[in-house]
Amino acid sequence: MNFTGNNKELILAHTSMKPVDLSYTVNVMLTPQFYTLKKEVLPLNYAYQAKRIAPSLFEGLVEEGRDHDYIVWKEGDEWVFLAYDMEMITAFLARKGFVLENVSKIFFAQQAVDLFDKPLVLGENEALASLDDMIVVVPRVALMEEGPFLVFDNSFTPKKGVGLQDAYGSVLSMKQASTLAVIFTLFSLMFFVEGSRYSNNVQVGEAQMQELLEDYPSLQSKYTRDNIITKYKTIDTAERKKREIVKMVSDMIFKGVTLTSFDIDEKSYKVQFSCKDAQVANRVKALAKKNKLNTAAIAGSNDLKIEGTL
Amino acid sequence: MTWKRYQNELIALAAFVLMFIGYGYKTAQVSSQGETMASANHSVGEIKEVIALQKIWADKKTTKNVDKLQTLIPTSKVQWSSKSKKVTANYKGLTATELNNLVTKILNLPVEIQKLKIQKIASSYDVEFKCKW
Repeated sequence: MNFTGNNKELILAHTSMKPVDLSYTVNVMLTPQFYTLKKEVLPLNYAYQAKRIAPSLFEGLVEEGRDHDYIVWKEGDEWVFLAYDMEMITAFLARKGFVLENVSKIFFAQQAVDLFDKPLVLGENEALASLDDMIVVVPRVALMEEGPFLVFDNSFTPKKGVGLQDAYGSVLSMKQASTLAVIFTLFSLMFFVEGSRYSNNVQVGEAQMQELLEDYPSLQSKYTRDNIITKYKTIDTAERKKREIVKMVSDMIFKGVTLTSFDIDEKSYKVQFSCKDAQVANRVKALAKKNKLNTAAIAGSNDLKIEGTL
Repeated sequence: MTWKRYQNELIALAAFVLMFIGYGYKTAQVSSQGETMASANHSVGEIKEVIALQKIWADKKTTKNVDKLQTLIPTSKVQWSSKSKKVTANYKGLTATELNNLVTKILNLPVEIQKLKIQKIASSYDVEFKCKW
């Protein structure tokens, strides 16, 4: 099975070709009418290096003000540089009836130079021929002899072609799409890893609770826990309040003040102080007020009474 | 084949959707962790509170400690009655120091005070004390 798309029909596109009407995917090979070729011997090792300097090589050779793309490969000691205007090519193909979505890949006749051992006829007046390892369009009359000519078929399909999807309507180029895809995928990986960490943290919290419940198995039921809390919380609150009252009363006893009686039960409390004079009584009153306790004077004496509910 | 026209956008979109799903997963985990942790913390806090309350109010040593109220004051001044987990005690003629010691001890015991009555009689104090636990 061929996954490179080279099993598709290969159509040779040239300026004098007749319009086509295709409803299936094809590959297209372009004649030199659609590209500019240059060969150079350069001390370069990699194609990407060659591609980087390609624009400078074509200065003055290609029409200025138009966008050109480049394809580069090595033939022997020479680097082959090919400049093409994809906009012009797609416009031409569209004019000739190609549905651009049906054009899988574009190839250049120069890529198949080895197969051009004979001329290839282009219509009535022109032919493609290989001269000094360069494919050129020549007038048919210039051919030394009539035939035999090459028959163009799928065997001319080179290995490497140019995808057309970047050229028609796509907002993103393949490179941009790949970059974005890599960035998004990295982020998604990051999110998944982070999410999985949070998931582990949850398990740690649950483990802590399990540990406590193992030590106190009787508290596993929330109903039991609620009952215990309700029972003891009520006792705790009431008893703390009683003790607080006793503490407040004891803080109000100083020189000149005597505790005459103190009575506290589950609902209320009652305290009586005997004060030496009015000044002491006032001080006790002030302390009681500070502790938000209501005092009442006992008629005919400096004694004070404090009463309240719990 | 319109999809081919937008092949590049589709690749980027697929990766974006994957990122979005990843973000959703993370957000869901964060939110779930928040809820679970809050719930776990609440339960842990609740259990700890129950343990603490039980430690205070259901202490098995309370009976023994309450009995000390009987020996804290000279026996002649104490009238002691204990039944199950309830105590009724009457103290007569306590000095101020004895009263202070007794009240301090009572306040530090984890018992439910049903009645604490202090009455000054001349220079001494009478105390009536009822509690349960």
